[in-house]
Order: sequence, then structure tokens, then C-alpha cells
Amino acid sequence: MTPNSSSPVFTTQFDTGNQEFVATGVLRPRSITDIADDLLLLRDKIETVQGVFYVNLKRVTHMNSTAFRALARVLVDASRSRPELRIVVLTSSVVAWATQLFRHLSELSPNISMEIYDSAFYPGQTFVENKSFIPILRTQTKMTWRHEREILPRHGLRSGMAIADICCGIGDFAMLVRKEFDPARIVALDHSMASLDYARSVAEDFRVRDIEYTYGDASQMLFEGDQFDFVTCRHSLQIFNRPELLLRELYRICKPGGRVYITNEKNSHCLGEPRADSIQWTYNEVAKLFRHFDMDVEMGPKGSRLLLDTGFEDVRIESFMVTNLDGDPQEFADVIEAWEDVYAGEMSVRRGDSPEFVARFRQGFRDHIFAALHPRGYAGWPIWAASGQKPL
Amino acid sequence: MKRQEAAVVADTAFEQLLNLEMEMATFTADWLHCDQLSNYVARMVSHDRRDPLRHSNLLSSALNELLEMSFRSDAQEGELICVFYRHEQIERIELSFPCPSQQRRFYSVLVEDLKHNGQLANYVEVIADETAPLEQAVLLGLAVNYDADIELRTSTADALTFVVDLPLERLLH
Repeated sequence: MTPNSSSPVFTTQFDTGNQEFVATGVLRPRSITDIADDLLLLRDKIETVQGVFYVNLKRVTHMNSTAFRALARVLVDASRSRPELRIVVLTSSVVAWATQLFRHLSELSPNISMEIYDSAFYPGQTFVENKSFIPILRTQTKMTWRHEREILPRHGLRSGMAIADICCGIGDFAMLVRKEFDPARIVALDHSMASLDYARSVAEDFRVRDIEYTYGDASQMLFEGDQFDFVTCRHSLQIFNRPELLLRELYRICKPGGRVYITNEKNSHCLGEPRADSIQWTYNEVAKLFRHFDMDVEMGPKGSRLLLDTGFEDVRIESFMVTNLDGDPQEFADVIEAWEDVYAGEMSVRRGDSPEFVARFRQGFRDHIFAALHPRGYAGWPIWAASGQKPL
Repeated sequence: MKRQEAAVVADTAFEQLLNLEMEMATFTADWLHCDQLSNYVARMVSHDRRDPLRHSNLLSSALNELLEMSFRSDAQEGELICVFYRHEQIERIELSFPCPSQQRRFYSVLVEDLKHNGQLANYVEVIADETAPLEQAVLLGLAVNYDADIELRTSTADALTFVVDLPLERLLH
């Protein structure tokens, strides 16, 4: 389909390396001839591959019956003429019509299947979806908010803005931003139904009706481009295996002249006194543990480079230290205890670490708690906040 | 909710949300109107749903199918009227458009066929059969993929009204 100034954009391309036909955008042609070139590309490329052929429709936000039937016929014809080929249609769990539509293809041909792609995209999510983790997430936000409410205006947040909080988790940051900065519109997106359910229940309890919570894949969002004045993504890029994909999406939904604000940690810089050596050893191991699961909890200082590489301008970066002296030291200790449970109790065990390693690993967290609660102790958790402006 | 129950709940239970009227000739002047109208209206109707963005995306998909169908009507004189209602989990679309009598009979048969068993099997057949009418694919698709209840009303001598109940909120959660 040839896009003109008012047509919705639709593109197709073929990725030879992955044997993947990728379609993006809105596919609502009036007739098949409008998408003849795209169908021809699909037909031709199916002939060139062996084994598995992927049809990636994760970023198709709309498709009408005309296009669906045409696409289905090409795939069914190919599966019949090449019975040795397996065809996999990739869709997103976020786009409900797509999963409804493409499930039927397997009934037309056993060689065609549909896979819902994004459920496997978030390596870190399974570790934090447990409901017992929610109080800790709330405490973490409370601790960081003391700093961020001062920091956010330096990164351009003002009242009356259209704000998107991407990877909003349990929605507490969106709630605080709403209260402090009185946005014109605030949308909060996450890929965890459980977290969103919690966020909605809190909002309902507080009679807050103007935060739009939405289930979504941060790497393939349904939002149209150039929508928001201020886009936040906190503590999340570091737990994605492909942060550059997310940054491109944050860039896309941000208005020209608007800003994207990210926060990330550098876990190996967590510190404490007394028992500094034990604490440092454990947090160095935390960084290695996350790396094992394709996550980079050392990302914090890299924020500036990541934003510049994505195309942002006027990049600002600063760090702040959440400490046991900010508020109640017991809150700090509670957070560390939760980290110990997840990092040593679940992730380290899942990696297959020896009991001796896990015991030493746990000790560093115990020592961090000791430092936090010690009357003369000091315990810190460093965070980097960075933001960049989308060029006008 | 089944069709019969919906009929009992009837029109009084549905709250009107939006009424859109347009000259058919204006509507059919540009194919893009289907896409633009369905997105614009779906956003408005969905704004207070549990997940406005996904609800809007799903509603736009269903509405666009209906608008595209009316776009293909053989009649150009008259008005396109699209009224939205809501009752609990259901969005109701009442779409009226000018339609010649022969085409009205064609739609009547299609909608009558929806009441018989085997919707899914029929739909799967229609997907792959390029000789099957597009309208059949659209209506079966709405019934199978969106769990839609579809009724037909002859509003005036030369117009037709589709009444489509869509339980989208339930489909999303």
C-alpha cells in the first residue's frame, strides 16, 4: 500500500536472517490490489526459505477482513504447496483482535500456527509479579520519590502535561505524579495484569478516575506517535534484554520537544558501613546474576549514552543515593530483605548456584541490613536519573 | 448475554453514548473515512472503560468492519447514522445506511444464517474461499471473533440498520 499524507502507514519487509516477514502499521485496504506488492513479497519470500517461516504481525495495530483473507490465502496456499514448511504467525497478547483472528489459521492448515510473542519478552518480570512483592515495590517508590519529586522538574516535568508512565508496575509512581504535578492526562502502561489490577484497585479506593491504566507491551505500544509531553520509564530498561527497542518506542510516543525520563540502577555501587567488603562482594554478584538472565542492573550511568544513541537531544543525567537516613531505616532494611529473598532465594537458586555461594550471597544482604539499622551505620542504594528531549 | 436475554433487557437498558450522522455521499467520498471514523469514535466511546487503549483498539476493529461494509452499499443517497449505546459489559452499535432492497435481502439472509449452528466452521471455510462474499466474512468474523450478536432492522424503505452488540470488555479480561 502506498502511504500518502493522510493514509495510515503500513509497511512490510523481509528479514532474511530470521526468515521473518515483518508487517507494521494499519492494514485496512479497500481491495486486495492495494496490498498486491506486500502479498507478492510474502509469496516470493516463502519460496526462498527452509524449515520455519515467521510472519511477524506484532506491530500491526489494525487489519480488516479484506487483508486478513488475502493474507490467510497466501499462507494456506504456501502451506499446501510446501508441506515440509512450518509457518508461524507471531502476534502480541496486547492486540486482542489479532489473537482472535489468527487462531483460525491452524484449522485451515496444520502447518500454520500462531504464537503469542510478548509473553516471553520480559526476563525480569516473573521475579517481581508475586503479590508478596507489592509492599516492597511501594516502599521502594516511597523512598525514591523523596528524591524524584525534586529531580523531575529539572528534567522538564511541569503541571498540565500529557504524561505516560511506561512499565508503571503497581501504579504508585503515576499516582504520586498525578497528585504532585496535576497532569492534563496521565496514562500508565504495564505488561503485568496482576500489577495493573492492584493499581486499579488502589485508584478505586482513592476515588482516582483520571489515570488510564493499560495492559501493553512496552516494546510494541498501541499508542499513536507524538502523543506525550513527558514519558517516564523507571527501573525497567535495566530488566529488558533489548532496552534499545523500548527506547525507540518511548521516543516514538513522545511529542517533538517533549522529554523521556528514565531511571536505572548500578547495583555494584550499593554500599554500606560497617561490613563494607561483604556488602560490596554481594552487590557485585547481583550484577553478574542479572547479567546471567540477560538484564543489566549496571545500566544507570549508561543512561546518557542510551538516550543519545536513540536520537534524543539536550540529555541530562544525575544520580541520587537512597539511604537509610532518608526516612525510617527499617523501610530500607525491608527492601534489602526483599531483594535477598528474590535474588538469593529465587534467582541464584534458579541459576544453579551452590548452597555455599547462596549462603555467602545472602550474608552481604544481611550485612547491608545490619549497616542500615546500625545507630552509626550508613547504607546506600544509588540510582541514575536521565532524560532527553525529542528533537522538534 | 444471549440474544434472547438481550432482547428482554432491550433498548431501555442501553444508555446512549454517541450519535453520529453523515451524508452517505460525504462518507463514501474517501475510503479513509472508515479508518478515521472508527478510530476517532472508538477512542471517545472507550475512554472510561477499564483499559481504554485496548478497548478502543478492539472497538475500532469491529466498527471499521461495519463501516467498510456500509461504504460498499450500492446506494449513495441518504444518511449514514451511527449510534452507540452501552449496557454493562456490552457496547451496542446501531449503524444505519441507505441500501437498495435487493442488497437488504442479501444482508437478511446472511444475518439469518448467523443464527444457525456452525458459525465457526462456516467462518473458517469463508476465510479461505475467495468466492465467498466479503460481507459474509465480515458478519461471521464479528460473530466468531468478537462474540457479537447481530440483528437487522429495516428502518425506512430504503435504509437498513445493523444492531450489533459487542461484549468487548469481557473479551479483554
